[in-house]
Amino acid sequence: MNTATEAAPAPPVDSQPLSESAGGRRFRIAEYAGFVPALVLYGAFFAVPLGIIVAYSFWKVVDYNVVHQWTIDNYRYFFSVATYVRTLWATIWVSVLSTVLTIAVAFPFAYWLVRYVPKRMQRTLLVLVILPFWTSYLLRVYSWLNILGDQGAINRLLQWTHLTDHPVSFFLYDRPAVVLVLVYLYFPFAALTLYASLERFDWDQFKAAMDLGARPLTAMRRILLPQIKPGLTTAVIFVFIPILGEYLAPQLVGGARGVMIGNLIVNFFSGAEYTRGAAASLLIAVLIIVLLVIFRRSLEIKDPYASGR
Amino acid sequence: MSVYERRVTRAGLLKAGAAGAVGLTFARPAFGGLTQLEATTLNWLTWSDHYANDQLAAVAKKIGIRGRPTLFSDNADAYLKIKRTGSQFDIVSGDALWVPKYHKDGLTESFDLSSLPVSKQLFSIARSFPFWKDGSNYMGYPFSWSTVQIYYNPKYVTTVPDSWHALLDKKYAGKISLENIPTDVMAIAGRATGAKKPYSMTSGEISRAKAFLKSFKPNVLKLASQNNEVVRALADGSAWIGITNLGTDDRVKDAGGPVVKPAYPKEGTVGFIDSEQIVKASKNKAVFEKFINTTEQAPWIAKNFLTNGRPLFNEKAWKLLVNQGHGDRAKRLLYNQPQKALQMTIKGPAGDEQAYVDAFNEVFGA
Repeated sequence: MNTATEAAPAPPVDSQPLSESAGGRRFRIAEYAGFVPALVLYGAFFAVPLGIIVAYSFWKVVDYNVVHQWTIDNYRYFFSVATYVRTLWATIWVSVLSTVLTIAVAFPFAYWLVRYVPKRMQRTLLVLVILPFWTSYLLRVYSWLNILGDQGAINRLLQWTHLTDHPVSFFLYDRPAVVLVLVYLYFPFAALTLYASLERFDWDQFKAAMDLGARPLTAMRRILLPQIKPGLTTAVIFVFIPILGEYLAPQLVGGARGVMIGNLIVNFFSGAEYTRGAAASLLIAVLIIVLLVIFRRSLEIKDPYASGR
Repeated sequence: MSVYERRVTRAGLLKAGAAGAVGLTFARPAFGGLTQLEATTLNWLTWSDHYANDQLAAVAKKIGIRGRPTLFSDNADAYLKIKRTGSQFDIVSGDALWVPKYHKDGLTESFDLSSLPVSKQLFSIARSFPFWKDGSNYMGYPFSWSTVQIYYNPKYVTTVPDSWHALLDKKYAGKISLENIPTDVMAIAGRATGAKKPYSMTSGEISRAKAFLKSFKPNVLKLASQNNEVVRALADGSAWIGITNLGTDDRVKDAGGPVVKPAYPKEGTVGFIDSEQIVKASKNKAVFEKFINTTEQAPWIAKNFLTNGRPLFNEKAWKLLVNQGHGDRAKRLLYNQPQKALQMTIKGPAGDEQAYVDAFNEVFGA
């Protein structure tokens, strides 16, 4: 076939490449103008401080002064102390466990909300989900002391029902308390993200799968989950990453047995050990970046209709 | 067209605004005294027990100088903030040997204590601490002091813990609360293990202090970020023992908690003597004396004692407390014995801060 003789179809008017005229350049600048505030904000208050932390992590402190002498001692020191490595692992597994539990609680809630609750009622329930945000974070953590403490609601209930005759110390100042409070704190983030994702899902596909003989769990696994994967991943990111850097919840309800890496970082900084603190902070930052790279692939969704576009 | 009907144009509005701004600029000097009186704010880096909100409001109303507190927990933290931020703060509170450290490093300025009329209300010993003297000047205005000791709940702790080593007993597992101040906790461990200078320990002494803390850790319920959390833990019964300041027994009682009793470890203890210092880079140094002269008056100090329960250096307040019927309480908490403050190991910067924090973190990590 002689393709050369065939007249190429004229491109549609709206797909014409932009001319390099002054007007075109102005248009391009205008296109990027909206990006500038975010660039300034993230550049000045994220990228630059992060750069400073990177530099600090390779310097050292002498008599309360940061000395600009390049060294990897802070990292070597961190990995040479078993307690720090243990604390890092403890932080990771507390974050993983809290995230799994948060999603495990938030997913059925969002599913129930989308499938079985009338639209008007959904809004009311969503407001209730975000209601804790109306109070301060500190207050929300503090309130758990009144629930889990020796004189707290749970212990009073246990004593009132004669299940025990003295306060049970198990509930507070240990890792289970940290995990419980973290699940409570991050539940709204997961619930809202999953709700948004489930609400957009085309439930006819789910019904069609069931009509074709799939069991509910199979339909959920093979039809629902692949399509809400970006929402699920976003929920995991919103929950897991902030928990990695948590300081206040373990400080208030974790006691001496619920320490996370954030608590050690605070001790480093308040004791003038900026460089040690920077190295420990950066290890968490690196972990987060690695996870984001891994999660990035999960944020992509395959075309469910296989339309080929 | 009357003046009321005239259209407001954008140009007219801008002109009127500009004229107003120029007018206000020129008019300001005429009201200079008034605006200064209303606007002077002293940024004060301090602890929560150094002031009361009603006190600050009353002082602002009386002399037009408003104290704006920012809180810190650890001296090292405050020292670094002053070092980093310079003129952002006007006053900084500091403990005992931290005060000469600030001064030596050029962060604070000494002043003539006797030029403050309120200083005549102080116990004479508070006006002559040798470590705060700078020639004829003084490095800080003396405020309060306390030992850091043991408080225990006699319901659960039947033998008086008169030694730091008594706290290692396994029956106190997860029942001791103390503040999360690495340098001071290390110094206490140093005291327990016989270090000669708990704030300047040798590496061998640091190792012994660290070993002591390792044995102590299983008994720690919580490292509190603020002193009131220790009080709370004692009050709700989750802690049986607290390592904390004088007056904790009253504060626990005030919080509806059980009777707790003090115990003085035979190895000795550490403690604080704190003060208010002028930040050298402050732009409001001129009003420091006026502010201190008003906030440190005896009635406020007496009230502060009743709230926070540890001794202060204002002797006139002691007399007020006695007259108000609080003499027994004040006496029990050593208010009238300020010389005791010099018998404890007073707080100061660690000789090797990094070694102290490293050792502490290595023990109290997961």
